[in-house]
Amino acid sequence: MKIGVFICHCGENIGRTVDCPRVAKACEWLPGVEVSIDYKYMCSDPGQNMIKKEIIDKKLDAIVVGSCSPHMHEKTFRKAAVAAGINPFLVEITNLREHCSWVHDDIEAATEKAIEMVRMSVEKVKRDQPLTTIEVPVTKRTLVIGGGIAGIQAALDVANAGYEVVLVEKEPSIGGHMSQLSETFPTLDCSQCILTPRMVEVYQHPKIKLMTFSEVEKVDGFIGNFTVTIRNKARHIDEDKCTGCGLCITKCPIRKKAYNSFEENLAHRPAVYVPFPQAVPNIPVIDETVCTHYKNGKCGICVTVCGREAINFDQQDKLVTEEVGAIIMATGYKLYNIDKKPDDSIYKGYGEYGYGKYKDVVDGLQFERIASASGPTEGEFKRPSDGKEPKKIVFIQCVGSRDESKGFSYCSKICCMYTAKHAMLYKHKVHDGEAYVFYMDIRSGGKMYDEFVRRAIEEDGVKYIRGRVSKITEEDGKYIVKGEDTLAGMPITIEADMVVLATAMIAQPDASTLAQTVGIPYDKHGFFNEAHPKLRPIESTTGGVFLAGACQSPKDIPESVAMASAAAAKAMVLFGSDKLEREPVVAKVSADLCAGCFLCKKVCPYGAVEVREVKTRDGVVIKEIAYVNEGLCQGCGTCTASCPSKSVELAGFNNEEIFAQIAAL
Amino acid sequence: MDDLRKYAAELLEKGEVAAVIGYQQVSEKRTKPIIAKTAEDCAKLVFNEYCLNNLAVYLTKARVKELRRVNGAVLKLAITAKPCDVHGIVALIQESQLKREDVTIISFNCAGVVKDFGMDFNGETLATKCVPCDTHKPLYSDMVFGEEKETPKVSDEVLAKIESIEKMSAAERFEYFKAEFDKCIKCYACRAACPLCYCQRCITDKTIPRWVESSAHSRGNFSWNVVRAFHLSGRCIGCGECERACPMDIPLSLLNRKMVIEAKEAYSYISGRSLETPTLVGSFDVKDSDELFM
Repeated sequence: MKIGVFICHCGENIGRTVDCPRVAKACEWLPGVEVSIDYKYMCSDPGQNMIKKEIIDKKLDAIVVGSCSPHMHEKTFRKAAVAAGINPFLVEITNLREHCSWVHDDIEAATEKAIEMVRMSVEKVKRDQPLTTIEVPVTKRTLVIGGGIAGIQAALDVANAGYEVVLVEKEPSIGGHMSQLSETFPTLDCSQCILTPRMVEVYQHPKIKLMTFSEVEKVDGFIGNFTVTIRNKARHIDEDKCTGCGLCITKCPIRKKAYNSFEENLAHRPAVYVPFPQAVPNIPVIDETVCTHYKNGKCGICVTVCGREAINFDQQDKLVTEEVGAIIMATGYKLYNIDKKPDDSIYKGYGEYGYGKYKDVVDGLQFERIASASGPTEGEFKRPSDGKEPKKIVFIQCVGSRDESKGFSYCSKICCMYTAKHAMLYKHKVHDGEAYVFYMDIRSGGKMYDEFVRRAIEEDGVKYIRGRVSKITEEDGKYIVKGEDTLAGMPITIEADMVVLATAMIAQPDASTLAQTVGIPYDKHGFFNEAHPKLRPIESTTGGVFLAGACQSPKDIPESVAMASAAAAKAMVLFGSDKLEREPVVAKVSADLCAGCFLCKKVCPYGAVEVREVKTRDGVVIKEIAYVNEGLCQGCGTCTASCPSKSVELAGFNNEEIFAQIAAL
Repeated sequence: MDDLRKYAAELLEKGEVAAVIGYQQVSEKRTKPIIAKTAEDCAKLVFNEYCLNNLAVYLTKARVKELRRVNGAVLKLAITAKPCDVHGIVALIQESQLKREDVTIISFNCAGVVKDFGMDFNGETLATKCVPCDTHKPLYSDMVFGEEKETPKVSDEVLAKIESIEKMSAAERFEYFKAEFDKCIKCYACRAACPLCYCQRCITDKTIPRWVESSAHSRGNFSWNVVRAFHLSGRCIGCGECERACPMDIPLSLLNRKMVIEAKEAYSYISGRSLETPTLVGSFDVKDSDELFM
């Protein structure tokens, strides 16, 4: 076998700490090596041409390239090898940059290490087998998880491109947090006015299958070929029969037992309800926990009034299976609940602000509902405790955000803008009212964003105070807000009628569970991780799973929408071809040696191991053995490691190759 | 005894099972395994405190699996098993080597067996594996024979030895096991006697590339014995057959018992106790302790 060794200087990157010419020289004498050369940039056109020329001239069978990480240029060098007639899997990359030069400073030692590393690769490449790529089909359907603005946008974009979409939303209606907002910055247009047409479009779209009140329970498969199990929770109302007339809702005698979560618990709702009037679909849900029927079997007024016989108390959850090729995660965020935390919580909470104790200390979303024309106060500013118009409101920013000691290290990004909006909306309606904002910094980067904040301060007279609030107490219906004005360098006390806390945006509490179900990584805060913070911000590290909106990190509406469209584009890129090419680095079980303990099946994270029967000619089953479905196998090697008798081999990284590598060290 | 013989003969006659794997008496204080295929064979079946072998080992050997095929049909196998041997059968079912419906378990109420053939069975000669045993009635069976009897109370020498080894320094411990393992002649009798060593090709026999060194050097001795202990971690049911089979008297149960204790303490798991529990190796719970991760 004739092997070519090509050592790249990577400019200064490798050349600075590794004496590349010496490495190339030393490798000339390795058994099997026909030619060994070094070059400044092996990945450049002349570098690649040099590889091609040597392969043809010296009739090489395999090559070793000592360069950067295979993540960077393995593809480049494989293509060069293929162009010169070598199987792409007879190309070994020795990572002389990340694994050697970048992590050492002693030139002598690093050079010695580089020689050893190349020697290992030479021994491996001698045993490498030529492999052919695997082609797998692509299901051209997309699952979108989450029906907020990001999910809606992604679903519409994919569907408008002509591909089918399954949109799953856990709440009874799509719309997400955006449907709760009163107006949106920086233009102050009504949130529902711009959102609801999109919601209706989703509902009417022939390519979108909308599944509300549903949750993803299981995801099997891999890029292009996911099988998703979705739990369609029982509404106790027949979706096909219900016309959405709302008679059951008006007649339901349970009026005060359950809080309306859409109104952020500022109002009650009946046992049978739709979250809000423009809900899509406009089909109510019966809340089992408060409905009298589920307590004692009595009542049933809704059954009597429903002209369509749509009420079905015995309805059960349904499990639906969908085949999709791509998954877009758009599960959004939650607001940090700043109550006093239990002792074992890792977050300390902000008990000193009296949230939950004082009725007029509300969070951002509650204030949105108070400001909203469709909210519990019908758009009039009334404080929750006594319904009076507040004449003085204090807004506190960064509650939980940018506070590692009690909350979260990150900036929630949207609070500076929405607090300015809140203060502005208040001043527009209560002309004699006073609005104070306690802030740490005003972060208003974005088109027309800083102008918006300036408008709040300069035109609407909102008073901004740089500093933190230490304590809020109640005295005769007034809230005594004690803080510090750090610019003036003095303590400040404001007697407010109401306090609004801009609490941190946090990941959905079940985000980590969902991430484990789908099989994508997430950070310590529960936000899903992108594959690369700069160059691959839309993809998760799992092929075929894309991220949109605030499930990845705090985001405002335009950012979420942009990300959703990007995720949709990524899904469409996937659907651009009928077959996906996969690396043939897959496991194979030896049918002779397998004892059928199926430990590999238990540990396989991709469900790629199947049970296969070995039969005699007369059909008698002799034994059951493990079989790896190469379409599902991702080549992680967990099965090869777990096999007690080492009867599973990973193509491209088989036992012999790895042992030869170690032995060469 | 007659009940057992009658029951076994009936199973064969009715064509329910292809054979009954059991014990036969060879002398007053010695038994040996028998694979009974006829009524006459069944008349030899016995059960007493000299039934030392763990017959579960036969359920995995391909040679005996052949037994199940009678005139083109595949019948069940019946096996007589002590309650502790049933653990072995359960472990095999847990590890997909056997299906519960393929085996008829004939078990006994057991008060312990003798240390070795030829000894009188009294309190002093109780087998070491019986000392910590808490299953005197089978956990799974299709038929149970024998009366419940009191097990003799004997001090747990193996546990005492483990505790004394734990007190040693790492160097002392190494020297102790080096001396013990240096006796090893690589006859692999431990592997042959173990019901859970069912691999078609043992990792030790894999030579291209060689994973486990098999030289007569201490390296090879450690390789084999430590690899075996690791391969049995969380799986060993503590039948002690390896130690009994060892011609060089290597105290293998020290290692195996220690691993059983570790698995129990860290994961509350003992192999072969429940058909419903997933195997320790190959199942994961977020509450699992990270301590034993290497």
